[in-house]
Amino acid sequence: MMTMATKPGTSHPALFDGVVAKNVSICSEHFRLTIDCPPGVTDALNLARAGQFVHLAPPRGEAEGAAGGNMGTSSCPVPLLRRAFSIAGLRDSLSDGHFSGGGRQFDVMYRVVGTGTRWLSGLRAGDALSVMGALGNGFPISDTKRHAWLVAGGVGLPPMLWLAEALGDAVTIGDTTAAGKVDREVVAFAGARSVDLLALTVDDPSVVSRDAGVASLGAKEFADVGARVVIATDDGSLGFHGHVAGAMGEYYGQADVQTDDLVVYTCGPEVMMRAVAEFCVARSIECHVCMERAMACGTGTCQSCVVAVQDESATDGWRYELCCDDGPVFDAERLVWG
Amino acid sequence: MLVVMSDLKPEHQKQKQKQQEQDVDLSVDLAGMVMANPVMTGSGTSGYGPEYAPFLEIASLGAFVTKAVTPGERKGNPPPRTVETAGGMLNAIGLANGGLERFLSDKVPYLSELGIPVIVNVAGRDPDEYAMVCRALDEVPCITGVELNVSCPNVSDGLDYGTDHARLESLVAHVRRDVKRAKVIVKLSPNVTDITATARAAINGGAEILSLINTLAGMAINVNTFRPMLANRTGGLSGPAIKPVAVCMVHKVYSKVAREHGVPIIGMGGIQNWRDAAEFMLAGASAVAVGTALFVDPTIPNQICGGLRTYLAGKGMSRLCELTGMLAN
Ligand SMILES: Cc1cc2nc3c(=O)[nH]c(=O)nc-3n(C[C@H](O)[C@H](O)[C@H](O)COP(=O)(O)OP(=O)(O)OC[C@H]3O[C@@H](n4cnc5c(N)ncnc54)[C@H](O)[C@@H]3O)c2cc1C
Ligand SMILES: Cc1cc2nc3c(=O)[nH]c(=O)nc-3n(C[C@H](O)[C@H](O)[C@H](O)COP(=O)(O)O)c2cc1C
Ligand code: FES
Repeated sequence: MMTMATKPGTSHPALFDGVVAKNVSICSEHFRLTIDCPPGVTDALNLARAGQFVHLAPPRGEAEGAAGGNMGTSSCPVPLLRRAFSIAGLRDSLSDGHFSGGGRQFDVMYRVVGTGTRWLSGLRAGDALSVMGALGNGFPISDTKRHAWLVAGGVGLPPMLWLAEALGDAVTIGDTTAAGKVDREVVAFAGARSVDLLALTVDDPSVVSRDAGVASLGAKEFADVGARVVIATDDGSLGFHGHVAGAMGEYYGQADVQTDDLVVYTCGPEVMMRAVAEFCVARSIECHVCMERAMACGTGTCQSCVVAVQDESATDGWRYELCCDDGPVFDAERLVWG
Repeated sequence: MLVVMSDLKPEHQKQKQKQQEQDVDLSVDLAGMVMANPVMTGSGTSGYGPEYAPFLEIASLGAFVTKAVTPGERKGNPPPRTVETAGGMLNAIGLANGGLERFLSDKVPYLSELGIPVIVNVAGRDPDEYAMVCRALDEVPCITGVELNVSCPNVSDGLDYGTDHARLESLVAHVRRDVKRAKVIVKLSPNVTDITATARAAINGGAEILSLINTLAGMAINVNTFRPMLANRTGGLSGPAIKPVAVCMVHKVYSKVAREHGVPIIGMGGIQNWRDAAEFMLAGASAVAVGTALFVDPTIPNQICGGLRTYLAGKGMSRLCELTGMLAN
């Protein structure tokens, strides 16, 4: 069963059953799940942008409309509600993909933290799952700024992988008909508690500098799309010893970048995003924050996922917006941190 | 051409069965509110309509029920407002909504195009607030009914109508006096010792339809941080986990109060498929609402209608409304 949609804005969500192409472990606790999608949703998926998310659930029972939340088996309970995951990449399915007639496949990366992610980690190639998406709004991509910094902590990495790819695809910025084309410099700042929790492929750790002022091509996922990387670990097991927001601050101190020529994107734990956002707002640097909230519907109906934003027309100066429908990407200048 | 008779028969039977399913009359009449089918949305689980339009043809519902509307805007509770629990979820949204004026200007235009009965869930701090909102809604032709939310467990100022039967009766009577056209529906709380007593008070006040159940008061605690999972500390439990409780309450209210007064019941609480819907109807409901399950699959209402057709045709029944209260002894 498949439902197509025509929702205004950036999201044009569809509801469909996808099929697992692969589900591989990428470091302790993190997995990458690749899902083949039926050709009927290709148009909807092609409108998806980095920063948008999918809402995943066990496959829908045929005809009877049995929602998930039958309790699963005792060894693997399945979740009742859907679970939100940022899209980490989108491409054509391989020729031996599940659906004949082509179709697209997308990736999500997830860390196992509870019932839903444990259910995901048990999926094997060929298993079906229900997909609602793409939901929310993606990162705005500036076509004038020459420096884009992507600051990700922990499980904030997935949307940044796709964003780096998108920024790489649009690597030539400014007026492309003019003679003086300029390239965009993309630097990713990736933080993890420890190297074994870093969901990136680092073939040669010696390439990765401990000096946060030095970006390298040491992470394969970013190097493949022309982005350099600064890695930070809380325990100093790889790269800069400290937090990723601190690493960005160090890099900024040593870099020769005009604030109005720089855009910063961030996703990860809220304390980290807040530090990055406040750093940028204080310097009038454009900054987009990918927020996370506990969600039930993912489509703006239930009012679960509120984020406080400034609102001058409100008597107390702020109001709630919905992470799923108005976000998850918010302009750092608008956010009111708790 | 050779036609093998035995091949013809199943095909013929299939067509006959299809025809029987098509012929099933799913329409229901709730105190004069006629619905093409018995499936509506649960208040607060489908916004004000457009939110699920990408997935569900809203006009194919039996009726649409909005999120609560209060006189003024309410920001609602801080996040986290929801958390999943075994087979269900807790919510403490806190009646977040834009208030009556914005409802009338921003939401009614969409609702007036739907062409199905529209029920507006109403909440207030005192009888005057309820009556004020209901009077305004009574003036809007597309609004078929007002559903008095006298049972929200998530607002600290929520009056305890559930346990104070005299106050509930006078609240309903107050609203009934002011509402000339729209049906007055009273939504009952399960957080009471005897729901039949609350139902009787609502009917004495003049309730034309009862809806039940609202969420059950609940709480979940993070044992690592020692903190409650919801910022509001407590919330309301919904979803499949509460279904047996809801079916039992519908059965009690129907058999002890509603049937004798001829007051129809809208049953809800954990409905996920046609079987669940049929269960509620057998217990005494005349219509059903799908809430939490919409978050998982907004197309469930349509699937329930299809499933009910097949079920009734299989039972040799041609009218769904005959199912209400058919529970065997
Ligand atoms: C827009 C969006 C994008 C996301 N992208 C990703 C992603 O790319 N990769 C990824 O691994 N995760 C992502 N998440 C978080 C992911 O949705 C949660 O990890 C997941 O829902 C947890 O489900 P669970 O059943 O495994 O855990 P649960 O059993 O539900 O919870 C386990 C623990 O995680 C906490 N938790 C549950 N849900 C959330 C949440 N939404 N935010 C913060 N804490 C939560 C609980 O409080 C609990 O402590 C995203 C969330 C949102 C809202
Ligand atoms: C997120 C959420 C918000 C709700 N908001 C309202 C509301 O505004 N007014 C109301 O009367 N009931 C509200 N309810 C209760 C539902 O309408 C319904 O009575 C209850 O959830 C049981 O049905 P279910 O198990 O199918 O969800 C809400 C329920 C949920 C889950
Ligand atoms: S998750 Fe329901 S409104 Fe955002």
